[in-house]
Amino acid sequence: MYAGIATSSRRLCGALALAAAICAPVAAAAQDGVRDLGGQPAHPLTGTAGTAATVLIFTAVDCPISDRYAPELQRLRDAYARRGVRFWLVYPNAGDGPAAARAHAEVFSYAMPVVLDPRGALVGAAKVSVTPEAAVFDATGRLMYHGRIDDRYLDFGLDRPVPTRRDLAEALGSVIAGRRVQVSETRAVGCAIVRDQP
Amino acid sequence: MTRAAVLRSRRRLCRAALVASFLLPGTVLAQVPSAGAPPSSLPVRSPSADAAPTFNQHIAPLMHSRCGACHRPGGAGPFSLLTFDEVKRRAAQIAAVTGSGFMPPWKADAHAGGFVAQPRLTADDVAVIATWAKAPIEGAGPAPVPPRWPTGWYLGTPDLVVTLPANYTLPAEPSDMFRIFAVPLNVNRRRYVTGIEFDPGNARVVHHANIRIDTTDGSRRMDEADPAPGYDGLMARSAEYPEGHFLGWTPGQIAPLVGPDLAWPLEPGTDLVVQLHMQTSGKPEAVRPRIAFYFSDTPPSRTPSILRLGSQGIDIPPGEGRYVIADRYTLPVDATLLAVQPHAHYRATLVRGTATFPDGRTQSLITIRDWDFRWQHVYRYVEPIRLPKGTVVAMQYTFDNAPTNHRNPQVPPQRVRWGQRSFDEMGDLWFQLVADGDADRERLRGEVQTKMTAEDYIGLETMLASSPDDTELHDDAGVTALALGRPADAVGHFRATARQQPGSAPAHYNLGTALTQAGLFDDAITSYERAIALRPGYAVALANLGDTLASAGRATEAIQRLEEAVAADSSLPEARNSLGAMLWRRGDLDRAERELKRALELRPSYAEAFFNLGHVAVRRADIKTAAANFRKAAASNPGWPLALTTAAWVLSTAADLDVRAPFEAAQLAERAAQLTARSDPRVLDTLAVAYAASGRFEDAMQAAREALGKADGGLAKDIAMRLALFERREAYVDRR
Repeated sequence: MYAGIATSSRRLCGALALAAAICAPVAAAAQDGVRDLGGQPAHPLTGTAGTAATVLIFTAVDCPISDRYAPELQRLRDAYARRGVRFWLVYPNAGDGPAAARAHAEVFSYAMPVVLDPRGALVGAAKVSVTPEAAVFDATGRLMYHGRIDDRYLDFGLDRPVPTRRDLAEALGSVIAGRRVQVSETRAVGCAIVRDQP
Repeated sequence: MTRAAVLRSRRRLCRAALVASFLLPGTVLAQVPSAGAPPSSLPVRSPSADAAPTFNQHIAPLMHSRCGACHRPGGAGPFSLLTFDEVKRRAAQIAAVTGSGFMPPWKADAHAGGFVAQPRLTADDVAVIATWAKAPIEGAGPAPVPPRWPTGWYLGTPDLVVTLPANYTLPAEPSDMFRIFAVPLNVNRRRYVTGIEFDPGNARVVHHANIRIDTTDGSRRMDEADPAPGYDGLMARSAEYPEGHFLGWTPGQIAPLVGPDLAWPLEPGTDLVVQLHMQTSGKPEAVRPRIAFYFSDTPPSRTPSILRLGSQGIDIPPGEGRYVIADRYTLPVDATLLAVQPHAHYRATLVRGTATFPDGRTQSLITIRDWDFRWQHVYRYVEPIRLPKGTVVAMQYTFDNAPTNHRNPQVPPQRVRWGQRSFDEMGDLWFQLVADGDADRERLRGEVQTKMTAEDYIGLETMLASSPDDTELHDDAGVTALALGRPADAVGHFRATARQQPGSAPAHYNLGTALTQAGLFDDAITSYERAIALRPGYAVALANLGDTLASAGRATEAIQRLEEAVAADSSLPEARNSLGAMLWRRGDLDRAERELKRALELRPSYAEAFFNLGHVAVRRADIKTAAANFRKAAASNPGWPLALTTAAWVLSTAADLDVRAPFEAAQLAERAAQLTARSDPRVLDTLAVAYAASGRFEDAMQAAREALGKADGGLAKDIAMRLALFERREAYVDRR
């Protein structure tokens, strides 16, 4: 099971300071290409200590399903910030530059720090593939959940009028309470994350 | 006598605000015409077995011809799919949605004759896209140039463009939102509309539009009652399709202009009513659609008829996974089917329409296996379908109210009944039919109207079952029962309203009209008097009271009340006409003529007033004037057999040869005979005298014998006398 693997690898990183490859998100942070909107290197996953949890929200400037989640994501951020959860808005698509991302985040009234991830470092650490997709890390930087925000969208063109399961909130509740996350991985419906061919 | 007019209350205003959202049927549309070559001629090449598909060679032609009309800058789609970069960025998504059939958005199974402008992707096309999406390469050669789409209106330069007075601001969420707008059209004379084009303005959120026209101020008042542009709630009942035409918009479809022969009349003072179905975008959005009108100068020669099949008795238990409704109708005349439009809400799954021909053969008209209320197309046949008299058209819809139906708006599922709000259900299949001639059309329209009104009544009873104290529903049910010729039922509904609103003058007035029609004159008189006591000078109540007193044989009181009615409101043509008729009965011909002429000043094509003026002239033995007025009565209402027959009689039998017009008379009588299905001996008798007057004695004898077979008493004796004349090759002259 995934959660088990993550647990053991963290232990390895923490206790034995093993090779950087295993602890890639943390060790490679300085060269991973993650930037804030001012072009400065940003490290969402090296600052997890002291938080109740860290949430990465992957979005794009041109994805209608992502956009429809903006109010819900902001509500989640507002509700969980009080409980020590740090939210980051990540633009992973290579084409989404700082100006476009800034304008988009403003228009959709996101009030959370924004980073660009043109090399996919955060995408890889969070194991996401589409926007919108969320990833939850605990205080030690372990990936605890990744996938959809809720189950409203079942497929393109098939969505529920109201969600029946709010997966991101469920996961956050468990992490904050120190409980095991029941569902640690879900399939998100949205726009594929695209990066330049290597 | 005036036909009792029923007041429709406007209390809908109050209820509208309570309703979150609702759906109505109604979207027309054919596919956006491609500005370039027609899709079928575009060079979409299948890749050879050994060559991987490339964007330039295989994918671009598909995107441009099948997707680009919407997925282009400024198009109705949420993103553009014209260039290599744009398509590559969404390659996986495109493969997924074309593979699932979600895109291009077209819900119906293929139809043998084809639907107009169906955006087709063949199984091969889908496979090529799927293969390419795994390795999205651009390929050699120059990138294909996308077609040039029109930058303005697809249908050309409009004659009129209307829009909302101000932007409507759509909130950021939740999901599906509905809003109704009444838009004044401000035409200063009657126009004939060959088509409209809808520009959503903000294609990002406007998902489809139901469009109607309202010749009353009903929709406008509901719009004005909400300070923001438009209003939430239900469309007014007075917002209707123009006779015989669907209006509306779904993305990618524009109804083509019809020929001037099929145009629909637009009267001054009419409002356009636009119900927008919007999907929120995640941020507030400004919405301001525009609608273009295209006019013709000439009146149409044909008017289609709209038939609606369906059930308004829907009542689905929670958890029921397979609930089926069905309806059918046997065409009484030959007709041609131009288009169908299915309508249902969230829970419908399988939607079927069929035609079973007189020879027993059954053909599918529409089949949708995965109904999605967000794509409410009108499906127009490339080759209109001939439906001979006796063809049975039928619909059968299946609904899924189980928790496993993801589209169910109620979690957990609830008992759901028929209704127009989004959490109610509906199931209708609309047909656009053209009958061959006017008489057939009248027959079809009459029958269809009765059938649909009967179903409307069931719908009102369905809603009353859950809201038994809703006086507005009782009022609607009462009006509908009257239209169905069921005044006793109407009395029950209006009595329910009057009981709950004892101080409401219109409530007692409505009850009075139903009681009059039920023949309960004494009760009716009491109700009108109560209405007038509550609202002194209540002109329509005074007019109907006068009519009812006349029916009860109380002529003097009737005239007195009708005089009070015209004194209270000098602009009521019905009261003038009734007063004229009563004065004629009393022999006061000069005053009768004055009132009837006044009625005609108020309503220039008032058939009954012409008819009554004709009788005033008959009483004065002025057959020339009588003929002129009967002729105008028939022209003002060509569907009124009595006027046609009376005009035909005078024009065939007048002793004055200057008055006689036998050919015209025969035409009028033939029309009357058609309208009455050759069942009325007086009409057939008139037809016989008209034939005889034009020298067609064989036809005259045949018609007279037909009449004789249906007549008895004095009429039979008269017909026999006339038949004897015809056998001697003599026409009949009425010397009375």
